[in-house]
Amino acid sequence: MNLHSLKMTKRSLFMAMSLLVLSSFLLAACGPAATTEPPAPTSAVTQPPAAETSAPVPTATEESKPLPPITILINESPWLAGFEALVNKYVEETGNQVTLNRTPFNGMLEKSRNAVQASESEFDILTLNEQWYMQFYADGLVTPIKEIDPNFVLDPQIIEYEWATRWDSELGYSSENGELYGLPINGNIMLYFYRKDIFEANGLAVPQTWQEVEAAAQKLKTGDMSGYVVRANPPNWEFQAFLASYGGNVIKLDPQTGEWEVTLNSPEGMAALNTWLKLGREYGPANYADNGQAEMIALMASGKVAQMVLVGAAAPDFDNPEKSIVVGNVAAAPVPGATLGSNATMSGIWVMGIPHNLPDERKQAALAFLNWALTKDAQLFYAQSGAIPVRQDVYEEMANDPKLGWWMKAMADSTRFIHAQPRITETPQIIEVLDRRLSQALISEITPEQALLEGAREIHKILTDAGYKVKPLAE
Amino acid sequence: MRFTTKPSNLSPASSQAVRVNRLGDFIDRTFQYWTIAPLIITLLLLVAYPSIQLIRMSVSEVDIVKGETVWEFVGLKHLETAMQDPVVPVALKNTLVFVIAVVIIETFLALIISLLVSRSKHLVGFYRTVMLIPMLVPPIAIGTMWRLMYDYNYGFINQALALIGISGPTWTADPNLAMPSIILVDLWHWTSFMFLIILAGLESMPQEINEAGRVDGASESQILRYITLPLLRPTLVTAVMLRTIFAFKVFDEIFLLTGGGPGTATEVVSLYIYDVFSKQFRLGYASFLALGLALIISLFVIFYRRIGRRAQG
Repeated sequence: MNLHSLKMTKRSLFMAMSLLVLSSFLLAACGPAATTEPPAPTSAVTQPPAAETSAPVPTATEESKPLPPITILINESPWLAGFEALVNKYVEETGNQVTLNRTPFNGMLEKSRNAVQASESEFDILTLNEQWYMQFYADGLVTPIKEIDPNFVLDPQIIEYEWATRWDSELGYSSENGELYGLPINGNIMLYFYRKDIFEANGLAVPQTWQEVEAAAQKLKTGDMSGYVVRANPPNWEFQAFLASYGGNVIKLDPQTGEWEVTLNSPEGMAALNTWLKLGREYGPANYADNGQAEMIALMASGKVAQMVLVGAAAPDFDNPEKSIVVGNVAAAPVPGATLGSNATMSGIWVMGIPHNLPDERKQAALAFLNWALTKDAQLFYAQSGAIPVRQDVYEEMANDPKLGWWMKAMADSTRFIHAQPRITETPQIIEVLDRRLSQALISEITPEQALLEGAREIHKILTDAGYKVKPLAE
Repeated sequence: MRFTTKPSNLSPASSQAVRVNRLGDFIDRTFQYWTIAPLIITLLLLVAYPSIQLIRMSVSEVDIVKGETVWEFVGLKHLETAMQDPVVPVALKNTLVFVIAVVIIETFLALIISLLVSRSKHLVGFYRTVMLIPMLVPPIAIGTMWRLMYDYNYGFINQALALIGISGPTWTADPNLAMPSIILVDLWHWTSFMFLIILAGLESMPQEINEAGRVDGASESQILRYITLPLLRPTLVTAVMLRTIFAFKVFDEIFLLTGGGPGTATEVVSLYIYDVFSKQFRLGYASFLALGLALIISLFVIFYRRIGRRAQG
C-alpha cells in the first residue's frame, strides 16, 4: 500500500468513525424520551373484574380518578403465599392494581436502598426488616404516615411491636412518642415449640421456665433425639430472648439523662448466656454450632428434636404432611422465662414503608392498600391464608381456629411479652458484634465472660464513635 | 519541511483546498490517537473512575439522607478503625491461610493431572471436558450443593460414611474442620482452572527438547525436573498469580457454606467487607477495607511478576 492510499484509508476510517459517533448521538436524541416509569413488573397480580367492597378504600370503580397502580417490594418467605392471597383479595375487592416484586431476603436491602436513591422510587411500598428499618426512618427515606394522611389514626388493635412503627428523631430510636413511619405487615415473634406427644408420654408439663426446659431436655435426649436445639446461625436473636427473660438488655437508654448504657456484660447477661450455652451444647445435636432456622425446622419436622424456640411463622411447616412426619404432634406456647412470668419473646417483624421519593397520588394509593390490609377482616383472611397477622383481636379470634388455633393462641398469649432488639441506626453493627461473640462462645473459642466483656466493649465503642452520650462501661 | 501559502493570495476555491489539506494533515498526524480514543475513554470510565471513587470513599464517611448522598472527608479515620477492629486481623489471617492452602494444593494437583493427561494418548478431550465441569457450575450452585452434601444429619457424605459404619463429623460446625471443608470445595471448583492453563503450557512446549533429552539418556524424572518444569515456569507463574488473585476474593463458597463461622473460623476479608458494606451500610469503612485488600493483592502480583521476569530471564 503506497503512502497516498494509506492516507486515504486513514481519512476514510476517521470519517466513518465520526459519522458513526454523530449518528449515534442523533439516534439517541431522536429516540423515545427517558421515562421515570417503573420497569416491567416481575410478576403482575391478575386483575379480576371489580367487585363490591366493604373496605374503606377508594376504588378504581367508585372514584372519578382511579388510584394509580402500585408496586410492592416483598421478600420471598414462608408467608409470601399469604401475602399474595391478601393482595389478590384487595385487587378483587377494590379493582386497584397491585404488582408484586418478589425478591429473596438477601436482595431486599439493596433493592430498597436503590429505590429510595432514585429520582422516583420504582416501588410504592417497601417491606423493611426489623434489622434495617431504622436507617430508612432516621434518614427520612420513607414518608411519615401523617404527611400522607394528616387524619391517620392507628387502630389500637394493631400491634406496634415495641414501637417498630415509629421513630423519635430527638432520641434517635424507636419510641412510643416517635413519629409514625411504617406499618407492620408481618408479626413474626418467637414461640416455644415442643413435641406434645413425647411430653405427654413422659408425664412432662409444658415448661414455663428455662430450668423446666432443661429438665425436659435432660429427660428426652436420646441417641436420635436432641433435647433442645439453639439457633446458632445467627445466634443473636434467640440469645436476646434469654437475656430479656433474665431482665437484661444489650443497651439501655436512661430517659432522664438521654444517656445510653451498655448492659450486655451484667450478671443477667452472664446467667442468660450460661443457660443458652448449656442448652445448646449439652442437649443439642452434634452440629449444635451450625443450625440456622431452616435446619431447626427440618430437625423438628423430621422428629429429631423435642423442643426449641423459633419464629412463629415456622408453625405451618410442622403441620404440612409433605414436609413433616410429626403432623399434629407439635404444640406451641409462649417462650419460657428465667422465672415464672418473666417470659420474653423477641420481635422479628417486617414493616411496610412508603418511599419519600414518590408523587402524592402514588403515596395515597400505597397508604390506601395498607389501610385496607390492616383491617380486621383482611387480617383474618391473611392469617387463614398462612401469613402472620399483626392484630391482637385477630390472634384472639384465631385462637379458636381448629387448624391454626394451636399456635395462634400461643401468639395471642405471647404479644404481652414482646421485647425488641436495640433499635438505633447502628443496630446492624451491634448485631454483628453479638453474632460473632456469641458464636465464638458457643464453640468455646472464647469464654462466656470474654464474650460478654469484649462484646460490651465493642458495642460501647460503636455508640461512642457514632456520637451518642454513653455512660462509662462498668467492667 | 512543510510548504505554506498565504491564503489571502489564493482564490476561494484554492483556499478551501488548502483548508481540506490541513484537516487531512491533522487527521494523519493524530490518527493513532483517534483510533485508540474509544478504548481510552472506555477504560477511564470503567476502571479509573470507579477506582478514584473507591479511594475517595475510603477517606470519607458516606451516608444517604433523603435520597441525597452526603460525603464527609475523614482522612485516615478508617485506618484507625481498622487497626482497632478485632475482625480485621482474624479475617486477614484466615484469608492468607485459605489463599496459601488452595494455591499450593491446586497448583500441585493440577500439575500432576496435566502431566498425566498430556502424556495420555487417548481420551485427552474427554479428560479436559470432565475437568472443565466444576468451573462451569455457578459458585452459588456449588455452595448450595456442598452445603447439602456436608449437612450433618441429611448430607450425602455422612450418610455414605454411615453405610460403612463411620459416624461422620460435623463438617461445617466444627471450628477445626470448617476451613478445611471450604478448602476442599475450592479445590473441587478451581483445580480445573489451573489444570487448563498448565495443560495449555505443556501442549505448547516443543517436544523436540524432550526427545533430545531422551536420546541423550535422560530418565523421565530428569526430563521433568530439568526440562519440563523449567520451561513450564512462566506458565506456572501466570497460573499461580491468577489463582492467587481469585483466591483472595473468595466469597460465594464461604458465604453459603459457613457464613464465616463457626465463631470466626472461616471469616475472610471479602465476607467481612460484604457485611460492613451491605448489612452495616458503612460505605466509607467498607471502601477502605476493599482498597486494603486490593493493595495486598497488588503486592502479590508485583511479587509474582518479579518471579515471572526472573523465570523468563
